[in-house]
Amino acid sequence: MTTVTRPSPTRSAGSRRRSGPLAIALAELRMLVRNRTVALCALLLPLGFGALTYAFDSYGTAGMLAGVQIIGMVGLGVYVTATTTLAARRQSLYLKRLRSGSVGDAGIIAGLVLPVVAVSVAQLVIVLGVLALREPPVHAGLLIAAVLIAEAMFAGFALATAGFSTSPEHAQYTTMPLYLITLGVAIWWTITGADDLLWLKRILPGGGLMELITLAWNGGDLSLVSVLLAPTLVWAALGALAATKAFRWEPRR
Amino acid sequence: MARRHYPSSARREIVEVMTNSIDTTPRPAVAPGSAERGDAVISTHGLRCSYGSFTAVDGLDLTVHRGELYALLGTNGAGKTTTLEVLEGHRTADAGRVEVLGGDPTDRGRIRPRIGTMLQDSGLAPELTVRESVLLSGAVSGRDDDVDRVLGLVGVDHKARARVAQLSGGERRRVDFAAAVWGTPELVFLDEPTTGLDPAARDALWAVVTELREAGVTFVLTTHYLEEAAENADRIGLMHRGRIRREGTVADLTAGSTTSIRFVAPGPLDGLPLEVARTENDLVVIETDDAQRDLGALLGWAADADRPLARLTVHESGLDDVFRDLSRAS
Repeated sequence: MTTVTRPSPTRSAGSRRRSGPLAIALAELRMLVRNRTVALCALLLPLGFGALTYAFDSYGTAGMLAGVQIIGMVGLGVYVTATTTLAARRQSLYLKRLRSGSVGDAGIIAGLVLPVVAVSVAQLVIVLGVLALREPPVHAGLLIAAVLIAEAMFAGFALATAGFSTSPEHAQYTTMPLYLITLGVAIWWTITGADDLLWLKRILPGGGLMELITLAWNGGDLSLVSVLLAPTLVWAALGALAATKAFRWEPRR
Repeated sequence: MARRHYPSSARREIVEVMTNSIDTTPRPAVAPGSAERGDAVISTHGLRCSYGSFTAVDGLDLTVHRGELYALLGTNGAGKTTTLEVLEGHRTADAGRVEVLGGDPTDRGRIRPRIGTMLQDSGLAPELTVRESVLLSGAVSGRDDDVDRVLGLVGVDHKARARVAQLSGGERRRVDFAAAVWGTPELVFLDEPTTGLDPAARDALWAVVTELREAGVTFVLTTHYLEEAAENADRIGLMHRGRIRREGTVADLTAGSTTSIRFVAPGPLDGLPLEVARTENDLVVIETDDAQRDLGALLGWAADADRPLARLTVHESGLDDVFRDLSRAS
């Protein structure tokens, strides 16, 4: 039996109303798994990257390997994936549809980005867990903080880059410069360590983060933490600031 | 409110399914088509919106009353979509005052749970199923409802597990409509709601709209199907170049417009007791304010003069003529 107006408050299984951000996040997870291209980018590529770093294990210390893994995997799994996804959702006017409801912009963004972040964290648990079996991190708490900062920084970068990525295809190009710079700085660090241009490495995106992860895994002078956190947090804040300026909800007319 | 007829049993069946057992627990409402008007649910004054140097909406004054169906029609680029976007809270006005349900339409927490929106482009995610899509829209709407009820309402319950990517354009529009009326909002925006729908599905959609209006729901409609607006709207606003140039009921808008008698005569019009307004090739056009009288005179003349008339029609000016006049003006 069908009624035109909504029924009395008795609810069936289909009437449960999840919170808006949670419903958006669950929908996003479903879409992530069901779209082959996105699944490849978000699920397989980061794991493949993590596995590949073991095959080319010439990074010296476990901390350096963990740094390259975290930056490379979060860069692919969060930055590239979220930028591509947001560009696609905007192009299809899915974002506009979500904004027609009662959920605020922050809730919508959280619903869209958190699933990608959650998947990325799960991937890191797997890949870093394997590394920890070989050589566990010295400062696990600091490592977790570094991972969370990496996730936040790349999520901010994704929102900002999505602002000027007109399509998911375009996002494949627009994400490359920043991704390659952060990964390049991380690899540069593994090759030269603290020897050359230390301050430049620290202030470049990913540089301070790389050294922080190395410190957390290998141990060392903890008085450096604030020095390494500062540029990383600044990059995360710059990403968030750029996102507030550059992010667009609808395609340009 | 004119009621439709459903000539085929299939169409009748669809409509009956969609309107079966109507919950008659209305909010304070004005009966559809009633001359009495409720309080204003939408009010704009001097609304102005620009894109760079182009002014899309230029000082728009608009009032929509509770319980009515208001159709906002207009020429291409008239500013309808921009106006709707402001009313829906998707963009802010550059100048002027806008009030929807007594508040700011961009106030999502307070106003949006009371509004349903059917966008011109659906924005449905192709990877989700119909059921998931409607549930998601429901979750972000801030209203409660039952997904099976809503899918049944628009006749897509049999497609509940199908991915949106597998739906036809018409089926997507029905899912859009289902999402818009989820939880029976007080005010529903319908932007080109029947584009892509077959006639039976259109009738079914309008049947649901009619029933919702009887429960007190207010509708704002944009459409390119003028006959739909004429048949369903209480009032129509005709927009051109950023402003409402004419507004009123269909009768108001077409009042004073002429009726014409057209025919082809097989010879000279000697002795014709009517004034010929113009000829279009062989077609003779006579404008009249009393079609029955003048048609009788014409037929009498044709019989007396032995002039068998061909292609004889009586054309009453309608909304489309008013629309064309508006397009031609300025």
